[in-house]
Amino acid sequence: MSDKGYVNYFDILGLGEQAKPGEVRKGYKRKMKDLVLEISRVEITEERRARYLLAMAKLNAAFYVLRNNALREQYWQERQEVMALEEEWRVAAEMGGDNADALRRRFERKLRDFLTRYVEEAMLEAGRDRECVEASHWDAAHERHAFRILRHYRQSSYQEILERLPYYDVTPPQIDWDERQRAVASILAGEGG
Amino acid sequence: MARKATQPTPPAPVNPDLIDKALAKTVCEGDIVNFRLLFTPFSPARDDSPEQFETEKYAYLVPEADLERAPQFKKALAAVRRVETRAHIQQELEARRPAQLPSDLLVLLGDNAVRVGKYTSAAEAYELVRVRRRMQDEFFAQADVALDGGDMAKAVHGYLIATGLAYDYAAFPEPLPAVPDYQSRALMLHAEYPPNPQDCVAMQDPEAHVRTALSYLLRDSQASARLDARPLKARLAFLVELVGRLEPQWPAFATRYREASAMAREFGERLERGQTNGAGAKPSLAEEIEEAFGEDPRGITAHLLDRTIAGGEWWQYLKELAYKHPAAVLFVARLAVGDYEVLVPRYRPDSPLVAALGLAEDLSGNSRLS
Repeated sequence: MSDKGYVNYFDILGLGEQAKPGEVRKGYKRKMKDLVLEISRVEITEERRARYLLAMAKLNAAFYVLRNNALREQYWQERQEVMALEEEWRVAAEMGGDNADALRRRFERKLRDFLTRYVEEAMLEAGRDRECVEASHWDAAHERHAFRILRHYRQSSYQEILERLPYYDVTPPQIDWDERQRAVASILAGEGG
Repeated sequence: MARKATQPTPPAPVNPDLIDKALAKTVCEGDIVNFRLLFTPFSPARDDSPEQFETEKYAYLVPEADLERAPQFKKALAAVRRVETRAHIQQELEARRPAQLPSDLLVLLGDNAVRVGKYTSAAEAYELVRVRRRMQDEFFAQADVALDGGDMAKAVHGYLIATGLAYDYAAFPEPLPAVPDYQSRALMLHAEYPPNPQDCVAMQDPEAHVRTALSYLLRDSQASARLDARPLKARLAFLVELVGRLEPQWPAFATRYREASAMAREFGERLERGQTNGAGAKPSLAEEIEEAFGEDPRGITAHLLDRTIAGGEWWQYLKELAYKHPAAVLFVARLAVGDYEVLVPRYRPDSPLVAALGLAEDLSGNSRLS
């Protein structure tokens, strides 16, 4: 089962799931230093600013959550739970089970909570943490810009997960991509269709 | 004696032909809002709904005779009447739960919406079927082929569709199709007062100016990045075509722009004369100018916009200008005059873009767009 879309703080810091708090700190400092150096070397465009702010927010959140054992365990447990629920729903939907719709609703609620907590809230909270502020120079202006960027990231992650799940609000489409290419060509040629 | 309970008469079933035609109308017109409405619990297409197609307020859902003769409508009607699709529609209209929409109709609706320029409607339909991103890529890819082949009209059309299918995932509370937001983007472009006249957007070197213009007009950094690798000449041609497509009223604006440029030049000369004749004698430069020459430089901004905003600040003019002529804000600059600011035309005389868009004073009438 794919875990794409479920933010993985260990991957963000380039660490294994068993990494100790010391390794978390070291990994964070190294990654943040590289990022700050990269930012200082390039011209900041609107697109780059959004990308760098997101990268910085992810590193801060990963450090903020993983350095604290209680937070780390809670995060990992919630992540496993929501992924298990996705699997449960997928199986129920494929079997045509009666509980599929109830499972889908439960999964959606849990997924939204997970993403809100670990994509938006944790990233904003981390930006106010003393150690994160020292390493990343995150300030109120960053936070102001980050609101929109994080909301976009959260919703994109949600969409990424949704796209691999069974269809429920529309019938499963039979898309013939050769036909789609022809349709696009006909639209661009100004044909009536 | 107990009164005999009166049984409510069951509503008459909805004419299936009417349902088919109403659905076909929404598909043919690329109308996602009414398509979804037909599946809502209060839809007139449901037998158990108190709403009825026959009432005047739902007349707009029923196709007119002219539309029924159109080939697109016939095609949409045939799609609605396909056996499996029709059976599914009937099943969903009878079920007491949120309806599962038929994907084949949504794809067709999306295509028709693109054809008639309802890009947000198309984006919503494709997004429901989860093909939006791939459709966007397909439009970009075919537009790039057209661009390589020198067919600018087709290339610009493709880029406009692809960017029109964008979704704003940061919209609150739910993601929505992205819509033009030139009013906000223009403010960002002019957020900082240029300390030096050469620092404003309009005075950027041609390469940077074209990049800024593409990023601003396409509203999509990825779309403009696709064009970055192409030669300046190709990007210029693309940009000129893009402005032409976005703004049918551009020639009229270009005329006003040239007139405003002349006014600004005259104003500058007067300003210089005024300063030579004893600058500092008056408390405010604006008052000094007004007193000496009896004219307000704000007239230049008002002329650009073609109307005066009572008590309007420069940013109010800028927002309205961006709304009416998105590309116009790439050729203006903020100018502080005394205690207020005005927007004045400003451009590099050597800018190929200015010449191509007919904005240079000495090129009156030579514009490709005039």
